[in-house]
Amino acid sequence: MLRYVARRLGLGVLTVFGVSVVVFLIMRILPGDPLVAVLGSDGMQRLTEEQRTAYLTDLGLNAPLYQQYLGWMGDILRGDFGRSFFRSESVADMILRRGPLTAQIAALSVLLSWVVGIPVAIVSALRPNSVADGAVRFLSIFFLAVPGFWLGMLIVLGLLFAFGYRAPLTGADLLGDPWTTLQMILGPAIVLGLGQAAYIARMARSSLLEVIREDYVRTARAKGVNARAVIRLHALPNALLPVITLSGILLGFVLAGSIPVERAFGAPGLGQAMFQAVSERDVFVMQNLVFLYAVVFVVLNIVVDILIAWLDPRIRYA
Amino acid sequence: MSATDPASAEAAVAAQQRPSAPARTLDWLRRFARRSPVSAFWGVVAALIVLIAVLAPVIAPADPLTANFRMMSKPPNEAAWFGTDQVGRDVLSRVIHGSQTSLMVAVAAVLLGTTVGAVWGLACGYFGGRFDLFSQRIIEFMQSFPDLILAMAIAMALGAGTWTVILAIAITRIPFGGRVIRSVVLSVKEMPFVEAARGLGASHMRLMFRHILPQCVAPYLILATAHLGVAIIIEASLGFLGVGIPPPNPTWGNMLADSLNAGLVPPWWLVLFPGVAITITVLAFNLLGDGIRDMLDPRLRGSV
Repeated sequence: MLRYVARRLGLGVLTVFGVSVVVFLIMRILPGDPLVAVLGSDGMQRLTEEQRTAYLTDLGLNAPLYQQYLGWMGDILRGDFGRSFFRSESVADMILRRGPLTAQIAALSVLLSWVVGIPVAIVSALRPNSVADGAVRFLSIFFLAVPGFWLGMLIVLGLLFAFGYRAPLTGADLLGDPWTTLQMILGPAIVLGLGQAAYIARMARSSLLEVIREDYVRTARAKGVNARAVIRLHALPNALLPVITLSGILLGFVLAGSIPVERAFGAPGLGQAMFQAVSERDVFVMQNLVFLYAVVFVVLNIVVDILIAWLDPRIRYA
Repeated sequence: MSATDPASAEAAVAAQQRPSAPARTLDWLRRFARRSPVSAFWGVVAALIVLIAVLAPVIAPADPLTANFRMMSKPPNEAAWFGTDQVGRDVLSRVIHGSQTSLMVAVAAVLLGTTVGAVWGLACGYFGGRFDLFSQRIIEFMQSFPDLILAMAIAMALGAGTWTVILAIAITRIPFGGRVIRSVVLSVKEMPFVEAARGLGASHMRLMFRHILPQCVAPYLILATAHLGVAIIIEASLGFLGVGIPPPNPTWGNMLADSLNAGLVPPWWLVLFPGVAITITVLAFNLLGDGIRDMLDPRLRGSV
């Protein structure tokens, strides 16, 4: 187990390095002058050549690329995520202020996806081709096609029309005011949770159908174990392993999906910060946020892999 | 009777065995419809959407860009079935024209991304070795980003524009093409017919493109249709976040973004119709894709 964890962590470090290079390349090499982003194309044209060089040097953009990259990595290792061009708040502070809300949305949505997806999958796997199974299949196909942010806009509008209700837009403080926080995260979490539940239900259904046909399940039934216990104690634990892996991959769907969904609900999480950075073309904030999201995604998937290896000895000895 | 004329007999047999191209297509469609009627229905819907997109300038009742300040923010009525937006543009016409942009971007991005990925996967699977190892790492790095975030970063770095959006979405599709085609090639290249061709002295290029590539056509088509829906949703999300096709050109995503600027409470008709358009289109392409997958490769049922 220890060897497996060590190897997985080693690969993870390599992946984080690769990811940082990709982010750096996208933000620095692709055509598009960062100064245009800061000053606008009109402001650009009014610059003299010396002013331009001074600006670039000031921002550290005149150094050779490898120096820029090493500088960036050094800053990040020191916990300095830079500063927005347009706001006084440092990016690190912004992440600390906005991050928790997005983390709560993500956690609640994963919880919801399991609470909804798994029972639904059990029902439809035990009675394949029944009406319930058909309904489940239709809904899972439907939720794969509906954009989450649009569903979010509809929910906001619907609640407003029906009850004149609008979720609070500020004041998230889980410990101080759990009720306000819950109202802010519930909408985005439901939308993102249902989207994931569609994938989870699909995967759990086919995985259960496969496991139910295995010999040990038949043996349990033959011994006279009741049907519920067979599903709960014998079939489910094995059937859920691939679902856990999928859930880890879907975290990418949650992290990315929360950007437009938070915008639809007006929830002030990290996704909104990303939206702001994109619409202001704030290159450095964007660079750090994209890197942060990718690292979180990679780390969570390492955690999932280790969890799976811990649950399933076949993997850690393979 | 035809024994007297062997040449014409041969031609007659050939004609019997090999019906004309339209007839074969029709036959294939008929089998498709019998095998998966649901997919066939949604295939017809998808065809209608494509038709609407192609004929957009002809069937749209009004110009999608012309503001009409006497008709601002009107709910659906007889003159404007889907209502008008905050500067009086006809929403129905904008939704129709939006379909053109959405489909064009999605199809171009999926074709570009899947093709680049497929060629890369072909080379990886065929050559193997260090090149393959290196490529797999790069693909892994690319897949460490959630799709939408990678697309956002690229679209932002390149600046707004149709080609930017296509490129941004295409890059997120490359790893899928690469992985799937690579695994197909790994199994195909060990087959006897490839060995035979190699024994006859065929070059690498000839082996790759003449002998192995044709075996990749079915998985390629399956992959491309399966990813159309995802591409449409990413395009809409980019539009919604303001890094898609820049306004005033209507896309479903930037129409939804616009509706948020229409006031404190967005009018319901500005929210409802573009979203319904996205949902129906993605639903149609996804279900059509499922049917095509079942038809081309029954073993893949339930995967991809």
